[in-house]
Amino acid sequence: MTSNELYYLTIAEASAGLRRKDYSPVDLTEACLERIEALDGKLHSFITITAERARAQARQAEQEFASGKGRGPLHGIPIALKDLYMTKDIRTTCHSAVLEKWVPDYDATAVLKLEEAGTILLGKLGMHEFAFGGPSVDTPFPAVRNPWNLAHVPGGSSSGSGAALAAGFCYGALGSDTGGSIRTPSAHCGIVGLKPTYGRVSRYGVVPLSWSLDHAGPMARSVQDCALLLQAIAGYDAKDAASANVAVADFQSGLKDGIKDLRIGVPRDGWFDENLGVDAATETVFNQALEVLKNLGALIVELDGKPFSIARKANQTILVAEAYAYHERTYRETPMKFGSTVRRRMLEGAFLSAADYLTAQRARSVLNEQIRANFKGVDVFALPTAPRPPDTFEGMDPNEQNLRPSFTNPFNLTGLPAISVPCGFTPDNLPVGLQIAAPSFEESTALRVAYSYEQVTPWHERRPAL
Amino acid sequence: MAKELTIEDLRVMADLAGLTLSDDELQRLLPGVNRSQQQVAALRAIIVPRDEPAGVFIAADGERK
Repeated sequence: MTSNELYYLTIAEASAGLRRKDYSPVDLTEACLERIEALDGKLHSFITITAERARAQARQAEQEFASGKGRGPLHGIPIALKDLYMTKDIRTTCHSAVLEKWVPDYDATAVLKLEEAGTILLGKLGMHEFAFGGPSVDTPFPAVRNPWNLAHVPGGSSSGSGAALAAGFCYGALGSDTGGSIRTPSAHCGIVGLKPTYGRVSRYGVVPLSWSLDHAGPMARSVQDCALLLQAIAGYDAKDAASANVAVADFQSGLKDGIKDLRIGVPRDGWFDENLGVDAATETVFNQALEVLKNLGALIVELDGKPFSIARKANQTILVAEAYAYHERTYRETPMKFGSTVRRRMLEGAFLSAADYLTAQRARSVLNEQIRANFKGVDVFALPTAPRPPDTFEGMDPNEQNLRPSFTNPFNLTGLPAISVPCGFTPDNLPVGLQIAAPSFEESTALRVAYSYEQVTPWHERRPAL
Repeated sequence: MAKELTIEDLRVMADLAGLTLSDDELQRLLPGVNRSQQQVAALRAIIVPRDEPAGVFIAADGERK
């Protein structure tokens, strides 16, 4: 097999090939490194490439395979990390001048778990500065570009994770999600991303944006791969105050069980037409995806979208208040080290009162109850992941963004698990994502719906021309 | 509806918060701060006195109720 055929394998395929000895972890690692070397100059998806460390890990994995010491399905698989996961002895920049040269002295829990599972770390990925700004134009590192069209943004804030996977630079990645930062770049780059339930994956060692909204989670090129990555990183961690001591399911076991008679709620009324509403091409693709789900035996139930619509207001209020609280000291000491977008957004938090913040947290209690009450009548929610295709860099308008509905925010506010899976393309050949959200700690249900959809559609198999 | 803030309002608020911001920065901030205030006003409208803040948030709480 040539390196050309290697770099777009899924994790499940690559893992099976390693066990058959079709190729070695060194072959997989070299295929990725060659491709990064050849193409990342266009995309800027990596901030730091840890090539020598990756080669050493690959050789070690090769020896372990040879001596029969297999560690599981992620053993020997090259992955990469959003650059807000702390990595011992490897700089962790958060795509910011503030942390440009920061080298942590410990690993995030999720990073340790992936290392124990035998993955190979290729490097650290670009992002929106501190997971908060837009595509960065005034930070020390260039903005990540969309592999499907370099003139377009890849979505954020886990932009490097989305772009690197779509480009075939790695087999899996970790992102983080405070308002949609795993799911949006997954949708815009045509890959799969899962925001688990709040508390399911440890945030220990993940640089915070907003403590009560931050989620860590996997991104990959298939639903099954997301399940494999989640299996490795999920579980209770006493070092994370929000970690949930809840049993971790086998995320592979129910994937193929189908969705016959599953009730899928679509909270369209009062939400899809909010302000500028959802883009027409996106809604068309989404409606076609609903037809596919119906043909698989699911029942589509239209729901009242109003509480979902309001959720964004609470999410954004809490987010900017917590983000300012976290960064305040650094901001006061070195304000100009932050990029202009982060400075502007973060300072919105400085003008909120304690009463404003608590109003948002009280509203969160109300909305949490209202949104979850829908699970009496449906099993999951289905939505477009993003309300419109990715902007061009030139056409970005942060204020316009706020005039579209946010289909991702409500699941940060409620902590519900939500996955984005490719569901088609716009007429301009830009990917569209289908989002499935499930009750707390039922990632397996979200994965099953996404997997069922993925198996009967071709979208996840398309690759950008680079 | 919350009262629409002006640049002067924002300058006073910035002073109270101990922030030194240029006129340009205040101008860029103003739409976002006004949007934040409108958002909080909309949230105030959906809560009643018995509603408590989410506080330490546990994802499973909603289903247990």
